[in-house]
Order: sequence, then C-alpha cells, then structure tokens
Amino acid sequence: MAVIGVGRFIQQRQDFEDAIARSYQVEMGARTRLAEGIGAETARDAIATQANKRDELRERISDDTRDTAILVAAGLIAGLTGALLLFSGLIASMRRPLEELVDAAGRLAAGDRRARVEIGGLSETAALGAAFNEMADELEREASQRDQLDRLKDEFVLTASHELRSPLTSVQGFAELLMLERDSLTQKQVETVEIILDNCRHLVRLLNDLLDLARSDAGRLSIQAQPTELAPLIDDTVRTMRAQTEPAHQTLAVQIEPDLPLVNVEPGRIRQVLVNLLTNAHEYCPEGASIAMTARAKGDEVVLAVIDDGPGIPETQLEQIFERFTRGDAGLTQRVGGTGLGLAISKSLVELHGGRIEVDSTVGQGSTFSVRLPAAPAIGAGGQQRATAEAG
Amino acid sequence: MARILVADDSETILLLMRTRLELAGHEVQTAVDGQEVTELVGENEPDLLLLDAMMPRKSGIDALRELRAAGVAVPALIVSAHQDASDANAPTDLEVSGYINKPIDFDRLLEEIAALTQS
Repeated sequence: MAVIGVGRFIQQRQDFEDAIARSYQVEMGARTRLAEGIGAETARDAIATQANKRDELRERISDDTRDTAILVAAGLIAGLTGALLLFSGLIASMRRPLEELVDAAGRLAAGDRRARVEIGGLSETAALGAAFNEMADELEREASQRDQLDRLKDEFVLTASHELRSPLTSVQGFAELLMLERDSLTQKQVETVEIILDNCRHLVRLLNDLLDLARSDAGRLSIQAQPTELAPLIDDTVRTMRAQTEPAHQTLAVQIEPDLPLVNVEPGRIRQVLVNLLTNAHEYCPEGASIAMTARAKGDEVVLAVIDDGPGIPETQLEQIFERFTRGDAGLTQRVGGTGLGLAISKSLVELHGGRIEVDSTVGQGSTFSVRLPAAPAIGAGGQQRATAEAG
Repeated sequence: MARILVADDSETILLLMRTRLELAGHEVQTAVDGQEVTELVGENEPDLLLLDAMMPRKSGIDALRELRAAGVAVPALIVSAHQDASDANAPTDLEVSGYINKPIDFDRLLEEIAALTQS
C-alpha cells in the first residue's frame, strides 16, 4: 500500500514540477512581451498569475509530501510490526526447545544419565533435540558398561583375595609347622622355610592392600571412629617397627608433644597408616639411617610425621607418589618389598578420617610424610564435653 | 586340653588344624561342612567349635544358628577368609566367642582356645 502511495506521489510530484516549469515558460513569454512593450498590462497580470499558480503548486507539493511521508511511515510501522510479530513467533517456537536443551545438557553434565529432551518445534530444533538424545543414549550405555566393569573388578578382587587366603593359610601354616621342629632341620632347610614364610607374609600384605583398595573404590571402606589417645598407639607401633629397623642399625626416635588432644579415629586404621609410612622409611633408607616419628598439635589438628634422612624422592615422582602401584626407584635398595599400594591406601584411610596426607622431600637429604588429623572436641576429666570454643 | 570340633571344606586346612591343635595337646575331630557339624555335636559333645564361616551346603554360621536354636551353648570361634573377620556378617545373636582370620595366627588361636576352655 505504501509502495503504491509513494509511486502515485512521485507521479503527481512530476506532474506538479512540469506544471511549475510550464508556468515559468508562460512567465518568461510574458516578461519578453513586457520588455518589448507589447501589452504591458496583460503581461504584468500574467506574471502575477503565474507566480500565484506556482505558489499554489508548491504548496500542494509540500502537502502531498507530508501526506506521503505519513503514509510511508504508517506503512513502515505496519511492516515492522508484522515482521516483529512474525519473528517473535519464530523466536518463541525456538526458545522453548532450546531452553529445554540447555536444561537437559546441564542435568546430563551433573550426572543425570536419564536427561533427555522432548523432540518437537521447528525442524532445526527437532534435529538438535534428536541429536542430543542420541548422544545421551550413547553416554548412558557407556556409563552403564563402565559401572558393570567396575562392579566386576571389585567383585573379582574381593573374591580373589578371599579365595587366595585358604591356600595361603595352608602354605604358611605348614611352613610354621616345619619351624616348630627347626631343631631337626638343617640350617639350609631352616633358611628355606624362612623364605617361604617371608613370602607368605608379603602375599598377605598384598592381599590386604588389594582388598582395602577394592573396598575403597567400591565406597565400602569404612571406619569406626572413636576418641583415641595417639601417644600409646604411636609408642606401640614404633615398638613393633623396631623389630625391623634395629637389625638394619637404623635409629627410630619418637617425639610426642605432651597433652596431645584426642583424635576421632579408628585406632587400627591409623596404626596401619603409620606402619605403612614407617615401613617405607625403613625400606627405602640405607643401613644406619635416622628415622623419627613425631606428633604435635597445630591449631585444631594433630600432625603426625615420619621423618627420615634417606635418599629423598625426586620432584618428578612426588606428584604420583600417592597413586597406586607407584614405587620409588627400586634400584636404591634391594630390601624394598612393598606392594606399591601402601601410600594409596594410607591416603584413602587418612581422608576417610577427614585428614590429609602430605609429603615433603629433598633428594639427598630425606623425606617427611605428614598426616594431619582433626582434633576431637575436648572431653573433660569427668567425661563431660567442654565447649568447643574453649578447646580451641 | 580340650575336645575341639573343627569344620572346614578344605582337607588341607583340616590336616593343618588337626596337626597344630594336637601338638598343643587338644583332641580334634573334623567336619567338612555344617551338616556334619550338627551331627557330630550331638554325638560327641565337644568343648569348642572352630567353624569356617563359608562352606558349601551348610556354612559354619548356619550350623551354629541351628545348634543355638536347639539350645546348644558350646563356645564357638568363627574362622573367616575375610581380612576383617567380623565382616563375615555373622548375626550378633549367635553368641560367637570370637573371630579368627585366615591366614591363621596359631599362637593367638591357641591362646583363645585356652581362655575359652579353661573351666
């Protein structure tokens, strides 16, 4: 409509311009006649008439221009409104499926494997939705396969560790039986049986470690924490460990700060961690090395540390040291008999207690492994719980 | 010196147990499953049961449950191949006197037997 209006306006304007031009021609004729002195009166009238006629024409042009402008503006507004309505409809029909996609993608990323979208709307958004659902199906298939593999692995480790224990019991038991009659054995036979027993103990340690890891992976490694006094536990552990460090002429010093706060732990598990750390220090340090076990309170934590002056751990190995099957350079010593699982398990156990395990080491100077455990809220002598603020 | 009934599905373990316990002066009877345990307890009235937690046909735990239901109060130790024997999920109402892990620490086992059969 606006186009027709504008066309008509241009045509009309051309007509008016032509009329104005003709009016000038008429006026020019009149002025020529006036200059030649022919009919001066008529010519003056004609000039005045033409001037008036042109004014009138110009006014009509300006009126028409305004009308056309209004018409054009109205047309534009109508057109834009139409386009806007059209687009907002389009946007609305894309927006809902897109919002749903964003929502589903978020849920999928957060671990909801069932997140899917309803396919619909424009063909483009429908295609996008179908592609998303296909991807989510594939992810769900893979995840469930992985879960099943994980379950099989955990089950396998649990069963293997269980089934291996019976024959191991026999081997160890009969070797011990032989040792009961060591007086009737030759020196060589005694040494042989000792090797069998050593390896049995190593196998038991490996089985226990594997079982702990499988339980940890399956989320079944649990602790039964109780308020525990660390000093006797440490003393006892160190005393047991001296059976190994003394033959290697390693000193094993203990330094326990007096009045350590209690910690909420399962004593057997913390002992296991300390045995792991002390065994590592013993096995990786040369004969005559100094090993120290310290315990002190720091803020609302108790820090247990195993410090040695052994070969230290290169920086490149420090990062992976708490990962399973990571072992220090075996070339350093022949005595290393660990499973490569001890530190991984120690880390799991310490974290289960709400603590942290850290290592600090300099090659050639030694290593320090620290275990930080949260102190238990203080218990008064009469068994009454003091305010936590007071304890801190 | 006590009369001990040992149950395990492994003949080798039974031989090991018999040898070690007899060396310590005990009188040993063996059973290969829970069914045999319930039969032998009725016949021989042992002073102590040493039962493997997991045996085919009838487990040590099932046998003990039957015995307790029948009013037999003989002390019983459960032997388990679980690292942490109390994991064996034995019900608490069976009056189990203790748990023994495999591989067996015989020094500890003999101490426990002595403590349970003193009277």
